[in-house]
Amino acid sequence: MNLSFIAYCFINIIFAALVSPFFMGIVKKVKALAQGRMGPPLMQQYYNLLKLFRKEALYSTDSSWVTRVAPYVNITVIATAALCVPLVFIPEAAYGISNVIVFLYLLATARFFMALSGLDAGSAFGGMGSSREMSISSVIEPVTIVVFAALAFIFNTLNLHEMFRESAGQVHLFDPSLVLISIPLFIVLIVETARIPVDNPETHLELTMIHEAMMIEYSGRDLALMDLSHAMKQTLLMAVLINIIFPWGIATEMGVAGIISAAAGFLLKGAALSAFIGLFESSLAKMRFFLVPNLIMIAFFLSALAILLEVFR
Amino acid sequence: MLTVLFYIGLLLLFFGAVAPAIFFRGGKNQRRLSLALMAISASLLFVFASDVIYENQEVSMTVYRILPSFYFSFFIDRLSAFFILTISVVSFGVAIYSTQYIEYHKNDIRNNILVFLMGLFILSMLLVVSSANTFSFLFFWETMSLTSFLLVMFAYENEETRKAGIFYFIMTQLSGVFLFTGFFMLYLSSGSFDISAASIDPAIMAPVFLCLFLGFSIKAGVVPFHKWLPYAHPASPSNISALMSGVMIKVAVYGLMRFVIFVLEPQLWWGVLILVAGTLSAILGIIYAMKEHDIKRLLAFSSIENIGIIMIGFGLYIIFSLNNLEDLAMLSLLGALFHTLNHAIFKSLLFLTAGSVVNATGIRNIEYMGGLIHRMPKTALLFFIGAASISALPPLNGFVGELLIFQSMMQSHYLTDTLMQVLVIICLAVFALTSALAAACFVKAFGTVFLALPRSQKVEKANEVGMHMLLGPSVLAASCIFLGLSATWLFSKAGYYPQIPDMGVLGAIMAAAFLAIFGIVWVVSSHRTRDVETWRCGIRRGDGWFEYTATGFSQPIMNIFRSVYRTREDYRRTFFDRSSVIFRDGRAEIHLLNFFEVYIYLPIAGFISRVAMVMYRLHNGKLDTYLYYTFITIIILLVSMRWLA
Repeated sequence: MNLSFIAYCFINIIFAALVSPFFMGIVKKVKALAQGRMGPPLMQQYYNLLKLFRKEALYSTDSSWVTRVAPYVNITVIATAALCVPLVFIPEAAYGISNVIVFLYLLATARFFMALSGLDAGSAFGGMGSSREMSISSVIEPVTIVVFAALAFIFNTLNLHEMFRESAGQVHLFDPSLVLISIPLFIVLIVETARIPVDNPETHLELTMIHEAMMIEYSGRDLALMDLSHAMKQTLLMAVLINIIFPWGIATEMGVAGIISAAAGFLLKGAALSAFIGLFESSLAKMRFFLVPNLIMIAFFLSALAILLEVFR
Repeated sequence: MLTVLFYIGLLLLFFGAVAPAIFFRGGKNQRRLSLALMAISASLLFVFASDVIYENQEVSMTVYRILPSFYFSFFIDRLSAFFILTISVVSFGVAIYSTQYIEYHKNDIRNNILVFLMGLFILSMLLVVSSANTFSFLFFWETMSLTSFLLVMFAYENEETRKAGIFYFIMTQLSGVFLFTGFFMLYLSSGSFDISAASIDPAIMAPVFLCLFLGFSIKAGVVPFHKWLPYAHPASPSNISALMSGVMIKVAVYGLMRFVIFVLEPQLWWGVLILVAGTLSAILGIIYAMKEHDIKRLLAFSSIENIGIIMIGFGLYIIFSLNNLEDLAMLSLLGALFHTLNHAIFKSLLFLTAGSVVNATGIRNIEYMGGLIHRMPKTALLFFIGAASISALPPLNGFVGELLIFQSMMQSHYLTDTLMQVLVIICLAVFALTSALAAACFVKAFGTVFLALPRSQKVEKANEVGMHMLLGPSVLAASCIFLGLSATWLFSKAGYYPQIPDMGVLGAIMAAAFLAIFGIVWVVSSHRTRDVETWRCGIRRGDGWFEYTATGFSQPIMNIFRSVYRTREDYRRTFFDRSSVIFRDGRAEIHLLNFFEVYIYLPIAGFISRVAMVMYRLHNGKLDTYLYYTFITIIILLVSMRWLA
């Protein structure tokens, strides 16, 4: 394991962890503004996390080690998944860790643990969240795989780093197939991060909730870890979209100046995408749960179309 | 060089099996000795098989000649050795587990019979995969079928078991008939019983393949020939389910691979057929598993899914190798084989731990379980490792197998035929759905069995099982972790260098990240914790039925895929007023239609029994009638011989 790879690990994970709450804050702020409210200050997410880390953790007497372990496992696998998606610079070699399947299955691991922790305390809300989360994730999985298969077809590689390197070196402004793929990729982002119209991140103790329901028994540092890993997951999926549609600015080799400018660039691009997500959420109503598969079918058609374009080219 | 280990292993296994049959009144200690012999023989065979695989040797031997062209002969190459390895790992774990498990029945004679049959069953599976000619293949295949049938019938007093046993017997004989037909056609064409690439008439290639494919698919449980699995597995003792689901159905996979790769010359449509059948099995298997509440049936349906995944890999191998894409073909075959080993290990692990749960609680319905993680913590952990592995969570072994197959599918753009590319992409999407549903299914299985509060008194009183029943599955659980972490290294030792992530590095990164994050949180955050009660909307200490049950958990998926389940809902309502507003009373019924049974199995069974009725009328039991039949037969034969000559 060489030094530059280890440096990459640290920089990427820490950067992802640091910027994620900021993007969450922007989405919240935009939504508040759209509703005519002031909204929380942009740094509020950081204060929330700090507050939660300092508070005590409550555990149900009916819960087991699953509840206690799940937050740590979640943040671990999301941090590992962060290695698949370079935010500021693309390292030379990564022992094949940047494989798309590894990335997707690391996210699946987080979901697996989260769903089990929802069932652990024996609360009806947690179980409801787990059941819905696993159902939605099952239906979105073919879309996700086909989207990434389309990317693999276009870039002729299964390695996310190589895909991003190639797309960063592109001269055309927008490749039509990539634009087509960006739509299902955006839907995947919305579904995976539990946003309107699939889920409503604002509500607590409503029967509409999915992601929040699974978290309902968490408190203190465990909740902080869960929230942070959720925010990081959103940043990673956003980064995939950004690196494919608008990759310019990412550093393709290690260097202090390059990294700093790339970090600033990513912050800007991420903020713009977060604002877009906020507007998107504000302009839609929450869908009925069993109508969500229809949305997913649209995503599936578009991603399949992108592949067919490549196949018959 | 190590061939002697093979002989010693088989001998020990044979003695271990036969001893309880001779001293059939022997007690617990004698059975322990037998099972210990089986475990030792499994470890010897493991050493032998890994030596053959890693040294890439070939071993052949002729053992016993009955008639000039009928003899038992054995040939072990890498493929056979790989399956011997699979069988030995699983039977090692099962043998240790069984020392305690079978003693739940207090009947010495029956337990001795169980050990005897189990030994013979393992022995026959080992000999099937090392057979060098179709004669010994079929002989041991039938031994395997017969012993497994008797094992399924172990609890024969039970009406359901008898039905399951008969169903299994019919299916397994059907498989035998197809194999026999296929082998006979091969013999007619090549003139020898040897399993080798002889000159075979191209015209009979397709019929031979179809016969063998049908025969092996029935045994492997490929949809639509899968119906025996969900009946036979719950009926048989759990250690036997582990062997049947873990390895017996893999022996059928071995057969298909052996004959298609080494004997026949594959055509493209064979690959397509296997790929499509595999995809269908995978998706239908897991969709049916999702609705199942009987823990062992759930596992049986999940076996159908996994056999489907193996078939997907094998079908891709044929398609890619016929398109001269050697790397991709190797990747998919490696995926199929590795998934075979993985599934053998984690499925037997799951069946064994499920058996522990069933023994400790006395029920199989997960709807009435829950909370067992507090009562059986070690079993829960072992089951958890199995569930995580089968859900393909990195860095466990289940992930590596699916990774290989996913990778080969995602590179299908190297195929020249565009229609073939589209087919592979459709299968890819379905496979992704399968894989995600498998995770959902095992969240449901682990969550409703082990987590939250118990939902019946039997479960509340359950206790942890004994040491051996933990030790056996522990070996398998450890292999799940080991195979996952060392996969890349193992492949490179065997001479395969697939382009996959270094699993060891991935595991190391995950472990390091976990420790680092744990350390940081430990330093930064507060350590105070408080025990509280779960919020149950004001109901204090509600019973377990307040939480999500298995039905509740699977309801959204059942709803999304309701067209697959073929449910029929009948509502009959009456109202007080004419505009149907004020409700008087009503009935709602949900019928689950068993698609394959109603539309495929029952019509065939009905046809056969009608034919049997006609035949029955011909038998009046009088000698002169039969002499008359014989006379007519001889006349017909003479005339037809004359005519043909």
